[in-house]
Amino acid sequence: MHFHFDTTVIVRHLPELFAGVELTVLLVMVSLGVGTVLGMIACIGKLLGRGLLCWIASAYVTVMRGIPEMVVMFWIYYCGPLILDTRLSSFAAAATSMSLYAGAFLAEIFRAGILAVPRGQTEAARALGVPELFTWAEVILPQALRMMIPAFIGVVTLIVKVSGLASAIGVAELVYQANIVSGQSYRYFELFTAVGIFYFALIFPLSLLAQRYERVLARRTR
Amino acid sequence: MSAGVDGFSVSDSSPATREASQGVPSAADDIIRCDALTRRYGAFTALRAIDFRVRRGEVVCVVGPSGGGKSTLLRTINGLESFDEGSIVVDGIRLPGSRGDVIRIRREVGMVFQSFNLFPHMTVRRNVALAPMRARGVGRDEANARAERLLRRVGIADQIDKYPEQLSGGQQQRVAIARALAMEPRVMLFDEPTSALDAEMVSEVLQVIRELVGTGMTMVIVTHELGFAREAADRIVFMESGTIAVEAPPRQFFANTTDSRLASFLSKVL
Repeated sequence: MHFHFDTTVIVRHLPELFAGVELTVLLVMVSLGVGTVLGMIACIGKLLGRGLLCWIASAYVTVMRGIPEMVVMFWIYYCGPLILDTRLSSFAAAATSMSLYAGAFLAEIFRAGILAVPRGQTEAARALGVPELFTWAEVILPQALRMMIPAFIGVVTLIVKVSGLASAIGVAELVYQANIVSGQSYRYFELFTAVGIFYFALIFPLSLLAQRYERVLARRTR
Repeated sequence: MSAGVDGFSVSDSSPATREASQGVPSAADDIIRCDALTRRYGAFTALRAIDFRVRRGEVVCVVGPSGGGKSTLLRTINGLESFDEGSIVVDGIRLPGSRGDVIRIRREVGMVFQSFNLFPHMTVRRNVALAPMRARGVGRDEANARAERLLRRVGIADQIDKYPEQLSGGQQQRVAIARALAMEPRVMLFDEPTSALDAEMVSEVLQVIRELVGTGMTMVIVTHELGFAREAADRIVFMESGTIAVEAPPRQFFANTTDSRLASFLSKVL
């Protein structure tokens, strides 16, 4: 059996693939933006330790982390209209479900980062009479943010990978485009190799960044 | 009601101020006054109805075995720990009180921790200048000038733009002392300031504290350095099992043979 790896088919379909990358990046950015806001709210809720917001935040985080993202996406796309009486576009449904997903993971990362700031830091600021707002803004959060960065990058890569699922509800991102063009040319091997390379090119720099930052942190905290 | 403004000013002479003006020790001289202070952690009682006074300008060293309540007492005075019974009055501000009262006390009381607790993401200068700017509304230039002055005083002037991790433990603790002094507190509390230090750095920190004694600063120092306590303290307090077992000026303190717990403690550490 002879197989010929035809690179010209990749070159020929580069415009479609690039259009897919573009939409993938857009989807990831929207989801991370909204997810960060959701994550912050849920983090505050969980840090409060009691009350309605805490309860909602805990339920949200637990449920989202316990369900496959694909189910959330399908649910919002197919079941959402039955409740809300409007159909979300496939992009909006994908972005919503991925935001919810990112928010749940980010909430835990934010919380862990804040709790990782030693108690002595807060105590020192309080003992000096520094008001609570400044204690958070200048003592706790700057240190917490640094510690969060590697884990935050981890969520970014997770969301990039998960974005491929949006093809299943018709978002014309990278996997969707590759599916279409390989369906026309029957060149799945070449085109999905190209898809793999594109994803790797998006994710690998982020991993490097996270690794480098982890080393910096390890040196700082000793 | 016939007492007008004039009459009021003439008759303003409370018993406390009269006594103080005659040089008799009285409540008005106490900058810290804890009455029947009790603090429990579940079944464990850290402070058992402690009565503890500190007069203005006095240097009090608190010694005793670990777990005796020394740190808890110190942390209770500036509201880092709450308490279950009793009361604290610091410079006329009473606890239990409002949140505002706690903050007012903290601004008058400087605290130095065993583990320094410097802010690692700020330069030494910023560490010292932060609280005056944020808690007292001092302008940036003045706060920085104040920081530089204090850091010079504790011998850290040449490290002012470095980060805490670049300093030795002794230097970090001296920065922490400067940071507390920058708030111009009326009282300084030291919670085992030399316990986390290597032996060769203990003396440089004690020297800074000794210089503070010279300025007449009111201080409460929890310490295991009995030699330092003997030389610097006006009064030594021995705490054990959440009570003040002995308190006396250094000479009498070390001559005390009647308290078996103190005798046992001294035999172990001296």
